[in-house]
Amino acid sequence: MIDPNNLDFKKLGFHAGLEVHHQIISKRKLFCNCPTILEEDPENMEYSFYRYFRPVLGEMGDFDPGMLVEFEKGYKVIYLANERNTCTYEMDETPPFFPDMEAIEKGYILSEYFHCTSFAEEIVVNRKQYLDGSITTGFQRTFISARDGWVPVNGKKVRITNLHIEEDAARRVNWDDTSSRTVYFNLDRLGFPLTEIITEYTDVETPEELLETAKQIGRVLRISKIGRRGLGSARQDVNISISGGDRVEIKGVQDLDLFDVMCRNEVVRQYTLIELKKEMLKRGLTKDEFEHTYVDISHLFQSETKHFAVICPKMKGLFGLEVQPNKDFGLEIFEKSMLITGVPRADHYHSDESDGGFIRENSDYPSNLGIDKQLYEKICAILNPKENDAFIVVKGSEKQAMHALKKTIERIKMALDGVPQETRRFVKNGNSEFLRVIHGKDRIYPDTDTPPVVISLDTIEEITRDIGRRPWEVFEELNSEYGFSQNKVDLLIRDEQLDSFYKFTTELNMNAHLAYKLLIDIPRENRRKDVIINEEIIERIAELLASEIIIPEQLDQVISLLSKNEHLTDEELIDQLNIKDLSSEELAAIVKQKIDFIGKDKLQTSENEQRYLPKIVALVLKECNYSIKGQTVVSLINSFIKEAI
Amino acid sequence: MTDEKTIYDPEGYRGILRDRLIKDKIRTWSKVSVKKGEAYYEGLLLPRSQHTDDDYVTLKVDTGYNLGILVDEETDIKEIGYQKGHYKLPHVDVEFKKELPNVTLLGTGGTVASRLDYRTGAVLPAFTPEELFSAVPELTTTVNLTPKTLYQILSENFRPEYWVKTAESIAKEIESGANGIIIGHGTDTMCVTGCALAYFLRNLPVPVVLVGSQRSSDRPSSDGPRNILYAAQLAGYENFAEVVISMHGTPSDSYNLVHRATRCRKMHSARRDTFRTLSDIPLGKIDDSGTTWFKDDIRPRSNPEDFYLDAKIDSRVGMLYFYPGMNPDLLESMVDLGYHGVIVIGTGLAHVGTDVYPALERCQEEEIPVVMVVEPLYGFAQLRVYETGRDMLARGVIEGENMLPSAAYTKLIWALGHTRNLDEVRDIMLTPIAGEITNRESPRGFMIMQGIEPGIDQILKNL
Repeated sequence: MIDPNNLDFKKLGFHAGLEVHHQIISKRKLFCNCPTILEEDPENMEYSFYRYFRPVLGEMGDFDPGMLVEFEKGYKVIYLANERNTCTYEMDETPPFFPDMEAIEKGYILSEYFHCTSFAEEIVVNRKQYLDGSITTGFQRTFISARDGWVPVNGKKVRITNLHIEEDAARRVNWDDTSSRTVYFNLDRLGFPLTEIITEYTDVETPEELLETAKQIGRVLRISKIGRRGLGSARQDVNISISGGDRVEIKGVQDLDLFDVMCRNEVVRQYTLIELKKEMLKRGLTKDEFEHTYVDISHLFQSETKHFAVICPKMKGLFGLEVQPNKDFGLEIFEKSMLITGVPRADHYHSDESDGGFIRENSDYPSNLGIDKQLYEKICAILNPKENDAFIVVKGSEKQAMHALKKTIERIKMALDGVPQETRRFVKNGNSEFLRVIHGKDRIYPDTDTPPVVISLDTIEEITRDIGRRPWEVFEELNSEYGFSQNKVDLLIRDEQLDSFYKFTTELNMNAHLAYKLLIDIPRENRRKDVIINEEIIERIAELLASEIIIPEQLDQVISLLSKNEHLTDEELIDQLNIKDLSSEELAAIVKQKIDFIGKDKLQTSENEQRYLPKIVALVLKECNYSIKGQTVVSLINSFIKEAI
Repeated sequence: MTDEKTIYDPEGYRGILRDRLIKDKIRTWSKVSVKKGEAYYEGLLLPRSQHTDDDYVTLKVDTGYNLGILVDEETDIKEIGYQKGHYKLPHVDVEFKKELPNVTLLGTGGTVASRLDYRTGAVLPAFTPEELFSAVPELTTTVNLTPKTLYQILSENFRPEYWVKTAESIAKEIESGANGIIIGHGTDTMCVTGCALAYFLRNLPVPVVLVGSQRSSDRPSSDGPRNILYAAQLAGYENFAEVVISMHGTPSDSYNLVHRATRCRKMHSARRDTFRTLSDIPLGKIDDSGTTWFKDDIRPRSNPEDFYLDAKIDSRVGMLYFYPGMNPDLLESMVDLGYHGVIVIGTGLAHVGTDVYPALERCQEEEIPVVMVVEPLYGFAQLRVYETGRDMLARGVIEGENMLPSAAYTKLIWALGHTRNLDEVRDIMLTPIAGEITNRESPRGFMIMQGIEPGIDQILKNL
């Protein structure tokens, strides 16, 4: 396996695109009047019901191949529901209501933030099929708001191809056993309005760019106050490909910090699958050589359950190839077989495990068929594999085991085409697992339950007229005017203090750094100490500073007093600050004393001055109970030094 | 010679935009580019739905999504390619299996199988064997199913003469040896058709199962496939010979109920478990483990030789829903218009206001039967309890017992097809023919299998 930590992404032809799914703040769900409230305990329910799903034909008369695989999984889907956030719409027992206009409008506002040029002037609701049970109808209602936008990323434009508004899916619960054919969903989240923002994958060439793209999109959702906050309100799917590979969608990456390891492990996987393909071709393998001949070897095992084996010609050593850290190609195949057929990974075995390939043994899902050297020989005696052949054994009921072997052989054949287009699920260790065959556009067809909604360009203009500055515009401005770092700007956006910041700096003429300290540093510091400084206090302090009732030097004291008792009147506050009313002589004496204490000689060079001047100022301010402006002290010190010279 | 006008007919487009599309030779299903200021779109030009704004085009863009764009004078629209989508289903080879029962599926429309209509944006019935078998492949191993299309109509467009034709087709199938019949039907008026068939098909020898779906078959969550599978099971294998409706019994895909058509009513505009048996319990239920029968008065299969069709009808029958303040001229005008019979849905025990009495007297004089049924749907018409009732009886109305409105309506059409003699009509109306009148009412008919589900106790506790 190539080293995941030492990859030349550009050379490998790495490309990645994002599908950001973010819930939109709104009072009601997108297609019904249920409130957008989640159950605190996702397994809580007042009633439940269950369904089975079938694929339907697209408008061109084709079944989507991805949908057929979903159907093959044969899931029974159990829904948990609660009265307060679920109605007969979420149960798929009543047609949709008129879509939520608030969400529609917010779609256009977001599109404007992303510089989109092509708007949908008439919203046409589409159905996107999902047979995994996450949506009771079997399709998600979704529509385009706009196309052709962009975000700036490290000096270039990453294009936003589409911005959609859609209904969120139900929450999967009880997700412990991925091989189970019964799946559970709580319906509380189903129908929450969601925006899906899709980026052009050819525009992103490194994991860093991918991360920055995600951040820019996140900033817009925050700065616009459109994105819902809280756990689970945002989910990213990432499309990754390298040269010679293919588009693979990885779902469910919630934490941006994991982007890097995810990209690396996927690149390694695709690279290895490409190498594998080359090796298979080198060995002269063709798809026709793989036969669906399953041999019953149950008598070799001390078990009631059936065991079947299949020969894989010329595959020796290839199942043992490490495709991702601690996962070999065999396990990669078994993941898919497990998900589609329900046969657990541990009930799958490949012959490389007994033949020098030890990756499987150390993986998270080693085989538990107990095939030791002796048993291995016995199986070989029955199957009679040639020198370069490998074999696979699956344990299960006759029907399930055959199904699993069928899926296994089909997947091995696909290896001759390299990287299969798949939707995969991100797992904690940075690897990914097969989830489903990638969905095509045949799974999208018009929703006949909702007539098109006309939103004229004039209306769109009206809706989007008053959008504020975009995050990158804010950064540009605050960085050039005050030297603020991106990190600082991000905190202003994240804590939703940008409006106050502009108010303080323009209306109250406050120094930008002071405003930042007041709005970000102080509340954050206090939060760490479990002290909540509410916005009224901050607002009041800003007024006090603006009218020069207090000076910035007194900030800490003021905060401390007000956080203990926010009902203090201005007079009481000033009183408790113990302001020392010093004459200029008295002040001069204190300053001199502190200079002497530090040592006059220490202020001779400018280097030292930088180091010691603030110390002296701090000492003086403390002595004066912070009643004097620091600047006054600095001027005094400077004049004394000049005097001395 | 090709007719240019048909090729370039921009389906569903109207007005100025339509003229422009024709003039510029832009076809629906062609790939077009639309330019408008900074905005640029490419996609397939889809046919336009009716009842939508005239000036918009609908495009299907590369991602499969559809969206609408206003085409005004400043908009540039061009055809840049053409690819007509052919709605085509995979061919399914179905072989006849000797060991399986023969079941005929007569399609009348509705949503058991349906597909999109781009012009109206609505769901249209479609009922080819290919469509059915590719949607529900399990059918081919359950019974030898022969699908035939009778009508392709939505059930609200049914008319009494269609019931007759349906009954005639059923008779033909029975005579050709069908072991059971399935009628694919829109759910809205399924019960009405069911009642009519129950009267028309005398000494019915095999099951007739009406089935449909509450979620159209263009949805992955459709109840249609399970409904039709269970219908095939019932029609092919079960020992009963009545006209029944079999649809979901709960919101889950767990079991279907089997309702006697004459006692069945659609009780919810949209839910899967919309059908309920009123004033009685369903005949039985069917799930993956088989059929359980609840009732013991079910008519078993019988000799096909005794079977005959009696579908004489007189469709000059109307139905009035009495409400406080109803002007009696409604009933008067039915007499004026030459109606031969009237069903009146009366309040409570089947009452009408005293100001309707003169109109009732007129019906009596002109020998037009007026059959009273109850607005509460459950229970009997009982006109001997209050004075109003007795006054009405004195004016010749017929107490419709506990017939449901649809059962009484279809029965009066059937009765009048045989005689216009008032006494004979009264006799026919009051003689139970197909379970439309129960001689006693079990309390269970109002209490159980009426949609009360497990979990209700908990819900009530949490209110």
